[in-house]
Amino acid sequence: MCNLIQIIFNGFITGIVITLPALAITLLFGVLRFPNFAVGSMLTLAAYIVFTFNVLFGISLLISSIITAIIFGFLLILIDQLTFAKLRGSSSITLMVCSLGLSFVLENIARLMYGNNAKSFAIELARPFFFMDIRMNREQIIIIIVSTIAMIFMYILLKHMPIGRAMRAVSDNPSLSLVRGIDTPIIIKWTWFISGILLTTGGVLIGMDRAIEPPMGSSYLVAIFAAAILGGLGSPLGAFFGSIIIGVVGELSTLVIPPNYRIGIPLAVIALILIFRPQGIFGKPNIKK
Amino acid sequence: MLSFIILMSSVICFSAILALALNFQWGLGGMINFGLAGLYALGAYACAIFILKLNFGFFESTILSMLIVSLVCAFISIVTLKVSEEDYFAIVTLGVGEMFRLIALNEDWLTGGALGLSGIPRPLANIIPSDIYIYVFLGAYILILFTCIFLLNILARSAFGRTMRAIREDDVVAVTLGKNLLWARARIFAIGGLLIGLAGSMHAFYYQYIDPTQFSNIVIAYAIMAVIAGGKGSHFGVVFGSIFIMILLEGSRFLKEIIPGLGSDQLSAVRIIIIGVGLILVLIYRPNGFMKEYQLKV
Repeated sequence: MCNLIQIIFNGFITGIVITLPALAITLLFGVLRFPNFAVGSMLTLAAYIVFTFNVLFGISLLISSIITAIIFGFLLILIDQLTFAKLRGSSSITLMVCSLGLSFVLENIARLMYGNNAKSFAIELARPFFFMDIRMNREQIIIIIVSTIAMIFMYILLKHMPIGRAMRAVSDNPSLSLVRGIDTPIIIKWTWFISGILLTTGGVLIGMDRAIEPPMGSSYLVAIFAAAILGGLGSPLGAFFGSIIIGVVGELSTLVIPPNYRIGIPLAVIALILIFRPQGIFGKPNIKK
Repeated sequence: MLSFIILMSSVICFSAILALALNFQWGLGGMINFGLAGLYALGAYACAIFILKLNFGFFESTILSMLIVSLVCAFISIVTLKVSEEDYFAIVTLGVGEMFRLIALNEDWLTGGALGLSGIPRPLANIIPSDIYIYVFLGAYILILFTCIFLLNILARSAFGRTMRAIREDDVVAVTLGKNLLWARARIFAIGGLLIGLAGSMHAFYYQYIDPTQFSNIVIAYAIMAVIAGGKGSHFGVVFGSIFIMILLEGSRFLKEIIPGLGSDQLSAVRIIIIGVGLILVLIYRPNGFMKEYQLKV
């Protein structure tokens, strides 16, 4: 029994860890209208930049994360200008292929600079402790706190700030929002900037939970997409619940299938949703015009 | 040098067939397949397992592996039946591809795990004298490639080919005109699967050993680049695209001499970066490729 609660807790942590990247995917999908496969390797690159500040320059993890988040936000705007911006208006397949190429480039820049070996942030190790018979460690608590703060911030941003409203308007109906005077290119830049912050945070959390290595982002990619699709691509609240469900179900599945195949669970979930509820739990049905 | 060119040409043959498969599914059918690497691995492993573990002949193994990949492809396209957008389809294929690579990596008893399978015999090696073997081998590969192109050309000009293009251009119109979308998509994907299985088997026969690292996602990048560079929908264009990509790839082996001080890990990273940048540049500056799709003259 205690074991089961422990597994659910671990799954919850995995879910929380992928919440922020899933949110980034969902925001980017909402505004740009294509699934971005480069998100995984963007996250990897962000984690390595934080690693550079944190370990090589010896700045504390919090400060280096904040510096990186801002730098990385601008970096993503730059990358967008160099790649996707030139392909705006192309079919979503073209953009997906472009994002695939970009993911190769970014992941291997990390590999070229830092090598293949796993690295970790400079944080002192702490003994795991028990809370209500559940074994947890300090990193997991930090993960929960940071994600919660980020989620609340995102909620306020999307619901109550002009920029969030504009983002939702663009993702709802691009032409109408353009007619109503919303400057779409600026909104796209903002979306990339916010995604940069989310991906940096996600990268730091994954790096704390596991390790920093070149395939860290892409190994989560299927799970992140499953979470975003489960919640309904384009729905931020859905991304949160989708992530938690994917995390918990994935962890529970290790009771019956070998852990190596955990990636099969998000995949099976995607297949089931696509068959029974393609718009996701929180998404609105997409009517093709 | 001559033997290097011959070996390269054999590689080009099965890479071109793989690219033709992607061209069929994506260029003609409008369904992108991001699981190409995993399905390619499935084809190669299925063929190798039939030969090594079940002692089948090379011909039966190839046919069986083609059928298996084809069935998996048909299954993928049916699972995504309700969704008309390419977005979800792309994600599902990506996931399925990952799954097959994981199976190859983890099921040691069947696939040899990270070490892979070695000692795959070359077909008919005991009948053909060894001094002319590589010429016959290459000749057979070229023959297979041209047979594939020939059959695909017939298919592209048939009624089914027209249905495919109609679905690619606008599936709603195609359905309105009474085409069975699901069935047509399953067939497009299954035929592409046959080619992927064939290419995988040829890969296994050529290298004689297979391991999971041969089937990383870079395979997809090669195939996509070959298809785009050659011009989506044009079969000969895709073959030229593959030749172009292979020359580029093999050329990048000489980077070691240009940039000294690179380890093998870093060198492979640089090559992949070049491929990625190349892919993006082709998409931006040459989205329609260098050759045009066959079109009926009015």
